[in-house]
Amino acid sequence: MNTLQRLASNLLVASAMISGGVHADQSMLRNRAIGYVMTDLFWSVYQTPGAIQECPQGFNDGPREQFEQLFPYHQALTVEETQLRQEIETWHPTTESDGFEFFQVEGGISWGVNLDGEVGLNDFVHPDGTPGIDNELYRAVGCIIGFRGPDGVEYIFQNKAIADERYNRLMIELTEVDDLENDDSVTVSVYRGLDRLLTDATGSKIVPGGTQRVDTRWGQKLIRQINAKIVDSKLITEPIPDLIIPWQNLNVPSTQLIRDARFVLDLTAQGATGLLAGYADVDTWYYQLIRNDSTHHLSNGQISGISLYKALRRLADAHPSLDTGENTAISTALDIKMTQVFISH
Amino acid sequence: MKSWFKFNCASTLPLLALAVLTPTSSLTADESDSSLTAEESELFTEAYRDVPMPLEFRVEATPEGPVFADANGKTLYSWPQHKLRNGYSGEAKGSPACYDEVLTVTAGLMSPYPAGIKLPEIDSRLSCTDLWPPVLAEADAEEIGKWTVIQRRDATLQWAYDEQPLYLSIRDQQPGDVQGGSRRRYGGDSPAMRVPVGPPSLLPPGFAIKPTSIGRMLTSDKNESVYSFEGDTATSSACESKCLANWRPVVAPALARDQGEWSLFERSPGVLQWVFRGKPLYTHLRDQSSWSLEGSDSPGWHNVFTQDAPSYPESFTQQPSLAGNVLADSSGKTIYRYNCGEDTADQLACDHPDDTQVYRLAMCGAGDALKCLQHWPYLIAKDDEISTNRTWRIVLIDPLTGRFAAPDQDGAIRVWSYRDRPVTTFGGDNQPGDVNGGGTGEWRGQRNGLKAFWLRDDYMNGIL
Repeated sequence: MNTLQRLASNLLVASAMISGGVHADQSMLRNRAIGYVMTDLFWSVYQTPGAIQECPQGFNDGPREQFEQLFPYHQALTVEETQLRQEIETWHPTTESDGFEFFQVEGGISWGVNLDGEVGLNDFVHPDGTPGIDNELYRAVGCIIGFRGPDGVEYIFQNKAIADERYNRLMIELTEVDDLENDDSVTVSVYRGLDRLLTDATGSKIVPGGTQRVDTRWGQKLIRQINAKIVDSKLITEPIPDLIIPWQNLNVPSTQLIRDARFVLDLTAQGATGLLAGYADVDTWYYQLIRNDSTHHLSNGQISGISLYKALRRLADAHPSLDTGENTAISTALDIKMTQVFISH
Repeated sequence: MKSWFKFNCASTLPLLALAVLTPTSSLTADESDSSLTAEESELFTEAYRDVPMPLEFRVEATPEGPVFADANGKTLYSWPQHKLRNGYSGEAKGSPACYDEVLTVTAGLMSPYPAGIKLPEIDSRLSCTDLWPPVLAEADAEEIGKWTVIQRRDATLQWAYDEQPLYLSIRDQQPGDVQGGSRRRYGGDSPAMRVPVGPPSLLPPGFAIKPTSIGRMLTSDKNESVYSFEGDTATSSACESKCLANWRPVVAPALARDQGEWSLFERSPGVLQWVFRGKPLYTHLRDQSSWSLEGSDSPGWHNVFTQDAPSYPESFTQQPSLAGNVLADSSGKTIYRYNCGEDTADQLACDHPDDTQVYRLAMCGAGDALKCLQHWPYLIAKDDEISTNRTWRIVLIDPLTGRFAAPDQDGAIRVWSYRDRPVTTFGGDNQPGDVNGGGTGEWRGQRNGLKAFWLRDDYMNGIL
């Protein structure tokens, strides 16, 4: 084979590889449908080195530090005056001051989405410069160690449960898909899957190509359907009025309720990565946290449920109560990763 | 395997032993109910291995399976060592740790709260042995088999089984009561529990029993559920060809022999399948987790239990939730149990109406009994309802204190109890199948809090 022949041969191989890749992408579409299963879910927290920009006053104290400050001479006190007092404040929270200064995020940059379509003085700016980002939950939890990556207790363990627990097996299925890169109208259905995730031989890396049966029995109330579009491989859904995220950790089945929830995901044939944004119901959010993680677990992330609840209520920015007028939901965004699966109905 | 064939003294409990029992507890709202013993006698039939034992002890049938009991029929308990967050509690083998000392401060065994905090209601607090009297041995007691005698620090002698010191529970009133503890699995963050002690179950090698809220489930020793099929008999199988793609016969070794409730079916030349109570046994290849109930969704297939749990009241319902079936009241509201154990060296429980109510009132109503009744209302028994059995009883409660009430006490309410602990619903549940209250309280509802009463677990790794 001479040089020219080798070059021609290489070009042919390269061409085949390229077209093979495109073909592989489209091959995941079956009957104009493609499914994705959730493998990672984090409360979206924009972090700078040393947290200098967002948390110039430092991080918040947790239950252990607060207990030491409140009860330096605990041996002179009773269980009712100390431990149970703190547990009462945790399980029957109020908006009254607990005497501790709460450090909320002070920086102006956040991940998230402009949920209300407005650009307000209180809104964040996206790292790409987009104004009007609504993410008040970040303002509340951004200076709490437990919510920050890479080793915050919530960051690690709540996310670990997403992959490990079948209860949390949230999936989306795109149907009526003509083109995974651009399609002005597709349908997105939200389901819970029934099966374990497909992994490689190590058992830890989740790989595309698995199969998930739809849970139409226990998970019927989780099913949602909405319209969406795909623009330059980015999926953008219409808001889901009330998305329920099954979120079990440590054997306590619980949920998150996200109002006006929307997916903004970069799609490939192998997976989807991006944001799930909306307004988290404050009480559901809080009780999911403290039911799944005891005061001990929260202490490891310096998460004072008592202090945090007051911040959540103070920063809540949507869905006012018909009774009191107080907002019941708080804007938020979740970092989400999904892997392609074949969904079996 | 060989030892299995040596056991030739399998026993089932004499039904007459239970037939003479009558409910005598003063706390029950119903003075008597003769149907109780009949139901329990039919249920509690798990076979066990006869083991050598001192003459002063016997075996009683209970919801927890066969247990050892003293001469009065009172259940014997051990207190196995249990690893907690900041140390161990319970008893190492041969080392009694339950004494008559009234503890006054917390032990700091669970984080984040430190040791040394004063315990509630010190003046009326009981010692470990007030609640758990040791089973004392006479000076001339003769050790036999796994029954040994150990010396306590006050020089008294105490019976032990398999080297674990033995105790009675003051919560038990009658033979067969197991109100003091359970054999159900408890997690690392639960208190160090007291556990009923009994003879080994009569099982071939390769099988085990999983104690659950719905009965004593027969499993493989790898925690796989085993099933039977209605179409099978002891000598025939209707599960052939395609059926075997989903169901795997539980095969027995060639040397296995029939014994008691266990027999063998030769489903093909040289292949023996275990048969229990006249039905060949299978595992379900599509089960996704240990102790699964998924296979029982297939028509004609059933999980196998050595004995079922006592039936819950007829007015109760089962409701599907996101995680499985929960027990619910007649309107579909999920039923919850309160769990409580103190952070003390003796790990005394605080979940019973005779225990301090300080913990429960804090959790259910921020210390306010009226708030408790709003947030976690007791499950009121209907006027025409009577106690179902000794597991599900109607008791009289003073709603303002949480303690048992006298029959003529003003304001007393008749409420349903599980093993004498009143059960509740949750004000935050809005529709059938909601379990919004589950995990409320300290340590996800394990130490001072509430857990839903699960009847089917498809997602929680054997929580039943």
